[in-house]
Amino acid sequence: MDRKLTSVIVSLVAVLVFFLLIVWIGGMINPDLQLDETGVLRFAFVGIGLLIVFIVYLLTRQSQIWEVGTREVVYMAIGAALYAVLSFLFNGTVFAVPSVSQVALRPAVAIPMFFGFAFGPSVGFFTGAVGNMFGDALTGFGLSPQWSVGNGLIGMVAGMALLFKDRQKGVNTVLVVSFILALLATLVFFLNRNVPNMMFFDPEAGIFGDATISWFAGLSAIVGFLLVVGIRFTAVFNKNPEVTAAVAWSLLGNFIGIGFAAISDIWINGYPPAVAIVGEFLPAAGPNSIFAAILVPLLVAAYSSVQRQTGR
Amino acid sequence: MLVTWRYKPRKSLIQSFDPRAWIIFFACYIACTVLFWDLRYLLVLFAMAMVVVFTSGIRFSEMRRAWLFIGGFVVFFSFLTFLTGRGGIELYTEEHLITRWEAGFTLLGWRPTLTVTAEKTMYAVSMLVRVFSLASMTILIPYSLNPAHYGIIFKGLGLPDKVAYGMDLTMRFIPSFGRDFMLTRDAQRARGYELEKLSGGLVAQVRKLAPLIVPVTIHAIVSSEDIIDAMDLRAFGVGPRTWLEELHYRTRDRLLIGFGVVMLLTSIALSLFGMGKFWVPQFLLQLAAAG
Repeated sequence: MDRKLTSVIVSLVAVLVFFLLIVWIGGMINPDLQLDETGVLRFAFVGIGLLIVFIVYLLTRQSQIWEVGTREVVYMAIGAALYAVLSFLFNGTVFAVPSVSQVALRPAVAIPMFFGFAFGPSVGFFTGAVGNMFGDALTGFGLSPQWSVGNGLIGMVAGMALLFKDRQKGVNTVLVVSFILALLATLVFFLNRNVPNMMFFDPEAGIFGDATISWFAGLSAIVGFLLVVGIRFTAVFNKNPEVTAAVAWSLLGNFIGIGFAAISDIWINGYPPAVAIVGEFLPAAGPNSIFAAILVPLLVAAYSSVQRQTGR
Repeated sequence: MLVTWRYKPRKSLIQSFDPRAWIIFFACYIACTVLFWDLRYLLVLFAMAMVVVFTSGIRFSEMRRAWLFIGGFVVFFSFLTFLTGRGGIELYTEEHLITRWEAGFTLLGWRPTLTVTAEKTMYAVSMLVRVFSLASMTILIPYSLNPAHYGIIFKGLGLPDKVAYGMDLTMRFIPSFGRDFMLTRDAQRARGYELEKLSGGLVAQVRKLAPLIVPVTIHAIVSSEDIIDAMDLRAFGVGPRTWLEELHYRTRDRLLIGFGVVMLLTSIALSLFGMGKFWVPQFLLQLAAAG
């Protein structure tokens, strides 16, 4: 197993070095090379993302949570297929997806979060990454592999919940980290109010990812965070630590996964950092955290009653 | 019950290759398309896609729905791109005006104005060709890969057994879950649930999606027990896996892979030399200068 793992990491590093060499050589033969116009970098970022995943795995591989048996393989496939189907159905082309103040209903993201939390980080990563890939393929797009890795990270982080023996302590740490991330992003929003919301499309109103970001979309990360905190305190009240852990870890996964994709777009698409954070990160991660806070608890509750009934 | 993609054996160019070779070529093709914005380069890729589509042996009636969906989607979005020019600003800095059309009326003090510039037009056309080539290559995949080969294809591409089998199951589950989702939606509709008429604030609307998402997800997990049992009974994951079918590369498959890789490397080299960037033909610029 160890030799396999080293070979995977070595090959990922080799891919990265290959792309860096391309960039370096390309810079020598063509001095006005502008990388964001070539599209080469997105493959490099897929390599970086996978490398992050493998390093996290390497650091925590003593734990049981990474084990993949028959059950996990089937859950991976179910999660990925569900994520692909739901993100295809709710991407605005099949149904007219309703939206409230620039936040479109895209509930599919609850799937990788729930699968990651319920069945572990490997299932979560596979669900997010492969599901997003197939979902894009169903629509006929497939141009942003770094977003697949970002979606995978959402599921993986949601699954790291099982690492902490003391659930309560884990949740508190996660909430503090998420709060800092949400606060930083919202601060950037306040400093850059005029950035367009690039995640919001409403063809009927002639809005094609170019409307100035609304107050609600800008504050949605904080709104989502507050919802999660609310759940934490009411759930402590109801003695349901499972739900709290699920939403808290999903929230963090969402911030990290979408953050990875949005930040890599700084280099890939040549966005200024403020645009990447206010135009991409906030309108994607903010609403996601609201969906997570509402749908993930429902899924966790439904699944635990199924578990009680079947005894599995 | 599983619903399957509409694969059947056909005498066609795409199916005459080893499916692994085709997937590698497909990946190279996508990567090449991502690298270019120049319409001339994109037209070459588009022509390749069209050759594959017309030799695929799939009757139009079989894939009409997929084409209508993707065609409508692509044309609609390109048209919107043309109207707003969104996205193009990253590619060009100055615009040459061809014609400007102003509506003879005002809506609440706003006069609808359409400015047609050389850059905007070319951007919309390039976008159309680019996305359409990608979509047409992607549509063909489910029609021309034998479902019995999914697992061995991914295994043959170097993935570990478990991941390959996971990808295999994912591809098999997608059409079934699509059907399950529609069934659940119809069942809920019969009880008066209307997805199209969600009301209330954001939180209320998201909560109202639960009657769709929760049953589909939980049903999928519960009914997977049969599949898990079946796999366990066949000792899944105990040792290195053998696959029922075997795939062997032939000369033509190696040639296809070679062609794909050379195409990709050439494209990367071209794009590093600054070729294949956004291009506006001279006559449009002249038209703009004249107008």
